[in-house]
Amino acid sequence: MRAMGRMLWACLLTMVLAGAAQAGTITAYTALEEDEIAAYLAAAKKSLPDVNVKILRLSTGDLSARILAEAANPQHDIIWGLGVTNILEPRIQALLEPHSPKGSDKLPAFARGSDNKWFATTGYMAAFCVNTERLKAKGLPMPKDWADLLDPKLKGEVVMPNPVSSGTGYLQVAGILQQKGEAEGWKFLKALDSNIAQYIKSGSRPCKVARTGEFAVGVSLAFAAIQSIEEGFPVAMVIPAQGAGYELEASALMRSAKNAADAKRFLDWTMSPAAAAIYGHFKEIVTTPGYKPSASFIKAGLPENVSSVLVPIDFSKSAANRTSILERWQKDIGR
Amino acid sequence: MGIGIVTSIGIPRARDTDRLFLILCLVVPLSALILFFVYPLATVVVHSVTEPDGRIGFGNYATVISQPNFWRATANSMVMSLATTAVSLILGLIIAFATQRCRIAGRSLVLAAVALPLLAPSLVQGLGLIFLLGRNGLVTKALGVEFNIYGFWGLLIANSLYALPQAVLIIAAALRSADARVYEAAEVLGTSKLRQFFDITLPNIKFGLLSAGFIIFTVTITDFGNAATIGGDYAILATEIYGQVVGQMNFNLGAVVGIMLLLPTMLAFYLERVATQRQFGSGSDSAVPLVPGWSPARDIPMTVVAWIIALLPLITIGIVVYASFVWLWPYRFDLTVRHYAVKIAGGYEPLWTTVQISLLAAFAGAVMLFALGFALQRLPRSLVKPVYFLSLLPAAVPGLVLGLAYILTFNAASGPWQLLYGTAALLAICNMMHYWTQGFLTTMTGLRQVPAALEETAACLGAGLPRVMREVTGPLMAQTLISVFFFLFMRSMVTLSAVIFLVTASVSVASVSIMRLDEAGFTAQAAAFATCTMAVVIVAAGVMQLSLYLLGRRRR
Repeated sequence: MRAMGRMLWACLLTMVLAGAAQAGTITAYTALEEDEIAAYLAAAKKSLPDVNVKILRLSTGDLSARILAEAANPQHDIIWGLGVTNILEPRIQALLEPHSPKGSDKLPAFARGSDNKWFATTGYMAAFCVNTERLKAKGLPMPKDWADLLDPKLKGEVVMPNPVSSGTGYLQVAGILQQKGEAEGWKFLKALDSNIAQYIKSGSRPCKVARTGEFAVGVSLAFAAIQSIEEGFPVAMVIPAQGAGYELEASALMRSAKNAADAKRFLDWTMSPAAAAIYGHFKEIVTTPGYKPSASFIKAGLPENVSSVLVPIDFSKSAANRTSILERWQKDIGR
Repeated sequence: MGIGIVTSIGIPRARDTDRLFLILCLVVPLSALILFFVYPLATVVVHSVTEPDGRIGFGNYATVISQPNFWRATANSMVMSLATTAVSLILGLIIAFATQRCRIAGRSLVLAAVALPLLAPSLVQGLGLIFLLGRNGLVTKALGVEFNIYGFWGLLIANSLYALPQAVLIIAAALRSADARVYEAAEVLGTSKLRQFFDITLPNIKFGLLSAGFIIFTVTITDFGNAATIGGDYAILATEIYGQVVGQMNFNLGAVVGIMLLLPTMLAFYLERVATQRQFGSGSDSAVPLVPGWSPARDIPMTVVAWIIALLPLITIGIVVYASFVWLWPYRFDLTVRHYAVKIAGGYEPLWTTVQISLLAAFAGAVMLFALGFALQRLPRSLVKPVYFLSLLPAAVPGLVLGLAYILTFNAASGPWQLLYGTAALLAICNMMHYWTQGFLTTMTGLRQVPAALEETAACLGAGLPRVMREVTGPLMAQTLISVFFFLFMRSMVTLSAVIFLVTASVSVASVSIMRLDEAGFTAQAAAFATCTMAVVIVAAGVMQLSLYLLGRRRR
């Protein structure tokens, strides 16, 4: 009997210890890119050695669906880098806890929620991946802006993401509609449609099929273009001359966070200079002060002052109109 | 045959232990089926009739039906599935006939090559076809003609290759047992080989062909991976679900499309059942196994045809393996192993997790399916029918829907499910259920070939059911069960659509790593990871074949 009692105590003690070991662990759901996650976590480990960050990485759409499906019993403490348009979805908003990390007052107003439920340190923008070899072989003109994609010579040579399944595709469509206005915007999208070879399900894939020479122009993301250039593919990055649509990557604390204290410390860290120092290697858009794009980004064709090429986007509008825009897109254009 | 055995249970001497054993054989797999398939599916049904304001009604159905996209996707799905069924059935019959009834050169190599798409992660096949036949593909460049692989034709090729091994598995099981005496009699009567094929062989495997057709049809109509990589703008129902759930975050509309997807499958099921109503077993106790003799006029052309078919998947997958060693596809063809240094996305750890999950799924699946089949053969028809129907349903459910159903069902804040959610065990269960139907059909096809009289004789000699199972049915079923085990193992190693919703921050699997690498822009690393995954499956296959061989020798 006494032996059993002792065993019970041992069990209890183990459980307590295990609980204590868990105390420094947080779970983050993220849609950031794999290689940047690895770099951020390595740096975070130095600043917050006692915090162990467990990661679930999925694409923006998959992750949003996952968060909503788990809403009854969320498994994560924070959302770390998810498209603002997605995080503004009311059902996701309902799961968030207001939190303003240290230094977030220095963020521009467009990069944080007015209710402090989210803040964004980084973002990505639309860009064309142009395969220079295919362009040469086919004798096609180099496009400089969205309007150039209407050139009949490019018929069947342009691919873009499907806005229904891809967040990147949606930011492109929403960017065009906000830039040109509803009536002009839809007319343009309709005209563009006749040159589009394929609407692809993910946002980075158009760049990947363009870089291997399947198509001449992949309407995609600046980061995908820069990465392809760094890998050595014959790709040129073209930022639409009249401005590119963009999306911010928002982070937020879950109301259900099991380890809110460490979760807040980690979110604070994403605002720190230590983190900002790495953003330049992976991000074309950074909202925290003191950011400088890395040399390779500039070499790939990113302007020093990125904000000069961005189309001003009203995120709450593009989030609120999402359903109606996509419905119309499916009706008028969708294949 | 079922009826004969039912009466033998009815005789008063039937022992209580037999009855208990039979109940156990039925109840354990059946409760797994209900708990991990019917219950989650019911959750999806509830979601499909939950309207945006939370009330119950058919508003979602009205919304979906009123969309022109939905009807176009439905029409595309039907055309694609029927075309794939026709192609894979014909190719499958050729391969199965060539390997079971002819003496072709390199028989096991042909079988292995055809099975390749089963052990390749879904990305690989689409990638391979694009590398070969894409607008900048190797074949395209060599021929100098640019054609568009994206769309109907590319999808048809990919789907047919993917469905082919599953068709071969079932048709071969049906062809495996034949009574040589029937053919000898035909020979004596001077029947031509062609007539023997159409009058003896085909009628005998009618059941297998129908089951195979059913599987090809449902597997194609629910497939998402091929459509996403090579389908281009050819919209089908499975991509429609993805658009609803992932693109628009509308689970309820996605659930509706998922439920609608069940309808054509139910129709296929009904047709299959009606057609096979009378054919319930063809195994004969005194059958003499057919050993095909060497016949050059038949075997040489069959060897050529079988090899042409087998080369298609071999080249498609081989090119991806090759690309994983190429410096920069398709611009720099120097060989390198640099893509094998996978550091991100958790490195190679998920691969070992996947092996454990797959072993668990395969073992549990094979045991349960064998027990269920064994019990079904000894139960009254009225009981068999509903269980049979239930066991065919999992094939009709797209992985995407199954995965979502699991989250919506098992991620409860309280209750016993909490312990299961997020574990590797739940992933294994999900995989087992996802591929339950294929395993079930193969098991049943195999069981029908076990001579009933042999089992009855054993029973009359006083062997209890456990002993009949262990010493008569089991050994005769060994080959089929190994195929089932293997099939489940291979599918679990590479499946993506269902588990994408079930991986967690701590438990991830190989197919998700491959997808993550590809999404992150590291296509060559994704190909490298896929190659490693295939290598693990092939090694496992070798180990299993070897142990089977040793086992067989010891028994002899």
